[in-house]
Amino acid sequence: MKKLLLFSLLAVSACELPPRQAAATTALNTIANTSQSGGTEEYVMVTTAVTMPMYVNHDQATFRRWGRERGVKVSILGPAEWDVPAQINVIEEVIGTRPSGLLINGTDPAIRAVIDKAVAAGIPTVVYDSDIPQSKRHAFLGTDWYEIGQMQGKEMVRLLGGKGKIAYMGILGLTNMEAGFQGLLDVVKQYPGIEVVGKFDDKANVEEAARITSDLLSAHPDLAGLCGFDSNSGPGMGLAVKEAGRVGKVKITTVDWEPEHLQLVREGVIQMLAGQKRELFTWYGAQFLYDMVHQTNRLSASNAQTDITTVPTTVNTGLLQITKANVEEFIKRPTQ
Amino acid sequence: MRLLLQERTYSLTLTILLVGIGAAIAFPQTFPTFGNWSQLLLNLSIDTIVAVGMMLLLVSGVFDLSVGSVVAFSGGVAAFGMMSLGLPVPVAGLMALASAGLIGAINGYLIAYQGINPMIQTLAMMGIVRGGALLLSGSGIQNLPYWFNALSQSRLLGVQMPVWYMLLLVGGFAFLMNKTVFFRRYYYIGGNEQAADLSGIRVKRMKLWGFIVTALLAGVAGILLASRLGTALPTAGRGLELRVITAVILGGASLSGGHGKIIGALLGAVFMGLISNVMVLARVSGYWQEIILGLILITAVWTDKALQKRGALA
Repeated sequence: MKKLLLFSLLAVSACELPPRQAAATTALNTIANTSQSGGTEEYVMVTTAVTMPMYVNHDQATFRRWGRERGVKVSILGPAEWDVPAQINVIEEVIGTRPSGLLINGTDPAIRAVIDKAVAAGIPTVVYDSDIPQSKRHAFLGTDWYEIGQMQGKEMVRLLGGKGKIAYMGILGLTNMEAGFQGLLDVVKQYPGIEVVGKFDDKANVEEAARITSDLLSAHPDLAGLCGFDSNSGPGMGLAVKEAGRVGKVKITTVDWEPEHLQLVREGVIQMLAGQKRELFTWYGAQFLYDMVHQTNRLSASNAQTDITTVPTTVNTGLLQITKANVEEFIKRPTQ
Repeated sequence: MRLLLQERTYSLTLTILLVGIGAAIAFPQTFPTFGNWSQLLLNLSIDTIVAVGMMLLLVSGVFDLSVGSVVAFSGGVAAFGMMSLGLPVPVAGLMALASAGLIGAINGYLIAYQGINPMIQTLAMMGIVRGGALLLSGSGIQNLPYWFNALSQSRLLGVQMPVWYMLLLVGGFAFLMNKTVFFRRYYYIGGNEQAADLSGIRVKRMKLWGFIVTALLAGVAGILLASRLGTALPTAGRGLELRVITAVILGGASLSGGHGKIIGALLGAVFMGLISNVMVLARVSGYWQEIILGLILITAVWTDKALQKRGALA
């Protein structure tokens, strides 16, 4: 017993507590020290839900195209499902391999610590899609989800003439979507004629979004509008509205502009899409990393010493508003 | 040699060694390093703690699909207690463990005493508890207190604490399953439930305790995960139940019960963590990771069956 107590005391005394302040940062990766260490120039994107079609078609396709055009190696990693702790695990393991730059999907504020770890390790780190403002990321490119909610709210109010019952759905519990929900609510609460009948979790699943919508149509025959916040909300809501024979009577606004979304706009099932310019996230995100590594713009004798970030630190790429009036231009978009 | 290979813990250890040697040759700069291994072990520690409980249940012939949700819920309860109710770290932690234990008790009671199918009961509980986690945590509770975060973010001998907690729990439960009468009864229940009942083992009560212990371990895992991230995520632990069941089956458990060792749960998790780590180092995309892990599981079980058959014929 005494030995056990002694051992426990020794173990506790050998424990190293986490630092209360961020660790000291090592010199930023540059092409000079990458070449010196004999490494290849490699840029790594880490996301979650790596197989999500929207990510594959927009973010990843653009990142690969950027890599081909620059003649550098690009790698895309992350769990297949929406699993933030697993994304963190992958980032942690990638940091150990010291890539030239890291492009991280800002899925949740919980990834802040690992972003700081990458920065402290001297890896140029850019966050895209949603910002992690408390982190030490070198730059962020993406959209303000609150604006996405506002855009949907304003269009829904216009479509309904300021009165009617609406519902909205997405993935509950995600910081960016909750900001989007808030943006929508802040707009519609200014119109007393609009009644919000509920907030629903479609779990980013078309069948679930369709089931929720058909239940809503049964419970509220006078439902006038639906707003969607994840990639599968729109197709699911559209399917249920079509099956109920309520096309055009129930107005739909949603996010993203995959081929199925565009087709539903063309058919008049969805009235408006709030689209992100995702290609810009990863193209310019990667380019920012490249510019940091290659020290394209030298603002001082040593950017690292003076703690200068030589790329724009926050970029809002803005939103696309897609309606029946302009949808054909997006359908005819050439493949790159 | 063949007899040794028929024992899953030995065959899996050998496979881990072979994969490890291969990875060290392929990635000499990045794989065989202290940093990479401590990270690898840290990444699998949460799953392994849950896997210990799942092994206990699978040995007795049942399983629990609600463990992933319990991970999210317990982290949420602890965070809610500290941030919204102003409770001290130990009180909030105990509250989280109590809530996890209660979930396990409800599962155990309805399955053991009311005869509800374990898959239906724990599947339903998975949804209920996930909903509770969402209600508690919203989009996540951030900026948790320093001393709570220190639980997982501290290091001993350069290795983050969840790895040590994992080793302690694996060691403790391995001892209990091998050396104590109470825990050995789970093997008898899994081997033949009716015979165990007739021999005087209180099967229902044992099953109830099995679910409580599993939920408590998931509760510990949830607290450690929230402490590691500094955030209680309502989406934490999604898909964890299937990863854990995969690890436990790789480690020698059988869905029909009666087989498995706690060390097997650790080895199964280490093997899966190793494969994931190697795939990250090799820059294999997430598309392939799922396929490769699925193929490995089928190959492991098939090889095991083949070795068992040859052993029986010999």
